[in-house]
Amino acid sequence: MKLLPFIGKRAFHAIFVLLGLSIVIFVIARVMPGDPARVAVGAHAPDWVVQDIREQMHLDEPLVVQYFYWLRDALHGDFGVSLVTRRDVAQDIIEFFPASLELALFALLISAGLGITLGTLSAWHKDKFVDNLVRVLSYMGVVTPSFVFAILFLLLFGYLLHWFPTLGRLSEDVARPPTVTGFMTVDSLLAGDMVAFWDALKHLVLPALALAMGSMAQEARITRASMSENLNKDYIAASRAFGIPERYVMGRFLLKPSLIPTISIIGLDFAANFSNAFLVELIFVWPGLSRYGMNAILRKDLNAISAVILVLGVVFIIVNIIVDITVAKLDPRIGLRSARSE
Amino acid sequence: MTQQTNLSFSGLNAQQIKQLERESRREHWGRAWYKFSRNSLSIVGAVTILIIVFLAIFAPYVTPYPDHATKPFTDFANASQPPSLEHLFGTDEIGRDIFSRTIFGFRFSLSMGVIVLSLVVPVGVLLGLIAGYYQGTRIDSIIMRTTDIFLSVPSLILALAIASVLEPNLSHSMIAISLMWWPWYTRLVYGQTTALRNEFFVSSAEVTGASTAHILFREILPNILSSIFTKMSLDMGWVIIIGASLSFVGLGVQPPKPGLGTMVASGAKYLPDQWWISLFPALAIVVIVLGFNLLGDGLRDLFAAEEV
Amino acid sequence: MNTWTRQRFVLLGIIALAVVMLAACGGSSTPAPAEPTQAPPQATKAEAPAATQVPTEASAAKSPVALRVTFAWPTYIDPAVGNDFSSSAALVNLYDSLVFPAKDGGVIPWLAESWDTSEDGLTWTFKLRQGVKFHDGSELTASDVVYSMKRLQTIGEGYAYMFENVADVSAPDDQTVVFTLSKPSGLFLLSLVRLYVLNEDLVKANTAKKGSYGENGDYGKDWLLTHDAGSGPYMVKEFPLEEYLLMEKNDDWWGDFVENAPDEVRFIAATETATVRTLMADRRLEISDQWQTVQALKSLDAIDGISVAAIPTMTEFYFMINTKIPPTDDVHCRRAMSYAFDYATAVSLEWEGTKQSQGPVPATLAGHNPDVFVFPHDVDKAKEELAQCKYADELDQYPVEIHWISEVPDEEKFALLFQSNMADIGMPVKVVSTPWLSVVENMSKLETSPHIVTIYVGADLPDAGVMLNQRYSSATADQWLQNEWLLDKDFDARIADALATVDQNERYAKYYELQDYIVDLAPSLFVYDQVEKHAVQDYVDWPAMKGEMSPMQGYYFFAPQIGVNPTQ
Repeated sequence: MKLLPFIGKRAFHAIFVLLGLSIVIFVIARVMPGDPARVAVGAHAPDWVVQDIREQMHLDEPLVVQYFYWLRDALHGDFGVSLVTRRDVAQDIIEFFPASLELALFALLISAGLGITLGTLSAWHKDKFVDNLVRVLSYMGVVTPSFVFAILFLLLFGYLLHWFPTLGRLSEDVARPPTVTGFMTVDSLLAGDMVAFWDALKHLVLPALALAMGSMAQEARITRASMSENLNKDYIAASRAFGIPERYVMGRFLLKPSLIPTISIIGLDFAANFSNAFLVELIFVWPGLSRYGMNAILRKDLNAISAVILVLGVVFIIVNIIVDITVAKLDPRIGLRSARSE
Repeated sequence: MTQQTNLSFSGLNAQQIKQLERESRREHWGRAWYKFSRNSLSIVGAVTILIIVFLAIFAPYVTPYPDHATKPFTDFANASQPPSLEHLFGTDEIGRDIFSRTIFGFRFSLSMGVIVLSLVVPVGVLLGLIAGYYQGTRIDSIIMRTTDIFLSVPSLILALAIASVLEPNLSHSMIAISLMWWPWYTRLVYGQTTALRNEFFVSSAEVTGASTAHILFREILPNILSSIFTKMSLDMGWVIIIGASLSFVGLGVQPPKPGLGTMVASGAKYLPDQWWISLFPALAIVVIVLGFNLLGDGLRDLFAAEEV
Repeated sequence: MNTWTRQRFVLLGIIALAVVMLAACGGSSTPAPAEPTQAPPQATKAEAPAATQVPTEASAAKSPVALRVTFAWPTYIDPAVGNDFSSSAALVNLYDSLVFPAKDGGVIPWLAESWDTSEDGLTWTFKLRQGVKFHDGSELTASDVVYSMKRLQTIGEGYAYMFENVADVSAPDDQTVVFTLSKPSGLFLLSLVRLYVLNEDLVKANTAKKGSYGENGDYGKDWLLTHDAGSGPYMVKEFPLEEYLLMEKNDDWWGDFVENAPDEVRFIAATETATVRTLMADRRLEISDQWQTVQALKSLDAIDGISVAAIPTMTEFYFMINTKIPPTDDVHCRRAMSYAFDYATAVSLEWEGTKQSQGPVPATLAGHNPDVFVFPHDVDKAKEELAQCKYADELDQYPVEIHWISEVPDEEKFALLFQSNMADIGMPVKVVSTPWLSVVENMSKLETSPHIVTIYVGADLPDAGVMLNQRYSSATADQWLQNEWLLDKDFDARIADALATVDQNERYAKYYELQDYIVDLAPSLFVYDQVEKHAVQDYVDWPAMKGEMSPMQGYYFFAPQIGVNPTQ
């Protein structure tokens, strides 16, 4: 199968899934008890203000009609006004998404880098001390909820040791670089401001590490498993018997094929980072999409909740497609069609 | 599963095949137990879970201060005491014994896991069996496309969203998680059913006129039970984590009930000085999830080895 | 020290390795986010001009003196939207009002130099100070005041409810504003503290055509969310939502700054204990938010150079008792509860300096009756009263439910204390935690209102009548402000009469009687007057700590009068 038709087919499937997701989200958002309009303006506001907001949100119409209004607007990029920030949800998402993305990407760097390294070490020293240590650590990583890691890191590295800052994206005595990409690290580099860059990087470390722990452990386990499986394959023994240098065997024959399952997992973990970020961003006061979504959930902000879930759905789907393509490119044995069948 | 195919060629009738099948399955489980018992990590997991279940069931008898968890209780004079012999895990801001409350907290975590799975597994498995058996038909696509929708977003997010619209309490958080969880079983069972549906023993049952229900539940289901159990054991851990996460943000177990996530959250306000208030419940979550994971991994390794 | 550096080095090494590893394996996932990031740049730029205008000023030679305060998000800086704690603290710094609250409950001239009222109390005429400039340099005139009032009334959020009796407002000339009221009010002058004057031309220039206010478009609401159009002592410099609000000193302000008034005021959107603790200890936070627990404050207090300020507020903590359902519909049962509750222990759970409430209004409010009867903790008296209650013999059939608000975990302690106190007199109590939205829903109907709800209620103006009216008049019976369902016609008439009394002494006399009247009915437990607790750096000279500021919400953070001298 060629790449373009494959992407086309996946995109078609994606649209279908997103439509379904939009219905699910819409239903969730509208069965909420209480009057969201009243919640929005507070107890003191006169009734006509509340009624205005109800009308703006079409809250008095039948559910089906409300859905089509919502869908029409959503397709135009209009998710309505957030009851918390009091402005367009789309605008909020544009502002908050880059922070989450930066965090998720940084977590991905940490988890993939450390995960693969540890997994390889583990497979290489199978059943030795290093292996056992890595296995125990990865167990702990998998079973510990990210919010527990977040609290532990906050206390240990932030509070007790003062190694890293624990609040937001930049220290308050560091001037913010002009916003270009929305990534604080990239923006500060673009502005040539190394002080801001280091500061932004330091702010990233703890939340990213808390996010990365779970996926890192999982990636280490997967890498170890597939690598130790491949280590026993005949062709490795054969290569060694032929006197091909060990480094070459490891890199070329072992690492590359062994990484395929890891890459699938990395993709899923990357998307899952956005979900775990819901609690981690809250703890580290990270002004990202997940904290925004969490605040929206806690304050019953319908429009914002719907939009955040939809955006994350899109991210998920895109990441999945990319993972499929990458895996297929890496492994000539797998065609694009069957890449996701496992 | 190749044995069955071989057997049916040796001139046995359906009744005998069934008999042999049952025996081999029994033998299979017996061997499974033997292998399982040789894996020390799985045993550690199983023992951990057994101890936790025991503690949770007999919590009123094994905890030093059961009243601190079950009854409204205040003892402000003893509030926020660090761990001591009297209070192993210290006391919280209201003077309650955290050790006792943690043990009672296991009850919520376990019941969260058990109830969610007992809601989710039958539904998910049934849908998976049906979709898999009717592979390629409209039923298949309706069921599987619906699972795609639910699996398109991480379960924690949708569970949070659902829990947020309901009044926050334990049963609503269970409902929220259950709504998110069934598709995983549907997908798992679907994959296995489509693989098995063309096996000889299934088509032979079809030929002999067995009902669809018989084929689904007597022929196919027994052969995929092992992977369902493995997944259930691992999922107990994940469900407990998600339940604790919901409680952590206030959408699960409500105080003064001692949910583990709830205790972590309410203790978080007293960090870093009164670290014990949230640390011990947090560790308790880790221990219980670790137990189920070790157990589940043991099961998976074992069944995976079996099937080779 | 040595090991720390080494460990840090190792960690950096690991991160570097991670980067290299990822690059090596083809950067498989990095392209993923490329698609969604494409859109932001222009939009973000357009949205945050305040953030981009002066990017590197902070690196100038003399670093600015900052007043940094943590707050609970959200903060709305639009005077027609914001009215909560952090919003009002921002508004008082960004905008000027006609009058300014004095510490004793009255007002002093501010934008208005003088004023006059007609015989009937319906027409109020204000003369404006000359030469007041908005932040963009244009002059503040009477028409700006008119525009601000009309905008506030049309949008109807924020403090608009305080001006429901304003029928008309006009500007006969540039320095004169005339308000016409629909009925006389003793509180009109005081409420004008909450009319923050906007720059009409600037708002109009930034109004979106599309909006829900007809020809006024969106009334500048979108723009005013992140920008100010005021004349106040500080102006918005940067405002990334959910992160912080940074305001810089307006050197052209017409009023006076104290000697060490901060060059910058930064409201940080975070209240997490560990974060606040770290910032305070590093001297990167001058004043903490008011949501820190007593334990957290104690440990902050222990740090050198930090002390804890307990400042009175206009808020009282009530146990609101439903007076229409058994057994609490019998006044004797309610009095029994009032005697049985252990106020001293309740107060001891709070920061020292907290006092049991003296009756139904906090002592900070002008018109508070200092001689009102205060229920002591007296179990014998409680039993006596209980014996007279008509449900005395069948209390078991009427377990009293006390609901506390799940979002305010500290309330649980008080509910549990109540439960054990009532057990002493043989009254069964059930403690229930209820989320705020459900509380509001339950309290909207008599049938669903529980026996008791524990709620903090604050007065918007430093006036006892405001509190009495919002707590006990029939108009609020279905709101969260009242669980008592008093529905007392006599009380309604008397409080309405008192509020309309323009003469201050006469008005206060009426308030005094009403407070006695309420206490006699025992419709609530008057637990304690709330104090706001803030950890403060010793180098901050904060008038609020010395009782030199009006307790009106937000004015404690009026920065021109706060001295900050970190070098001392």
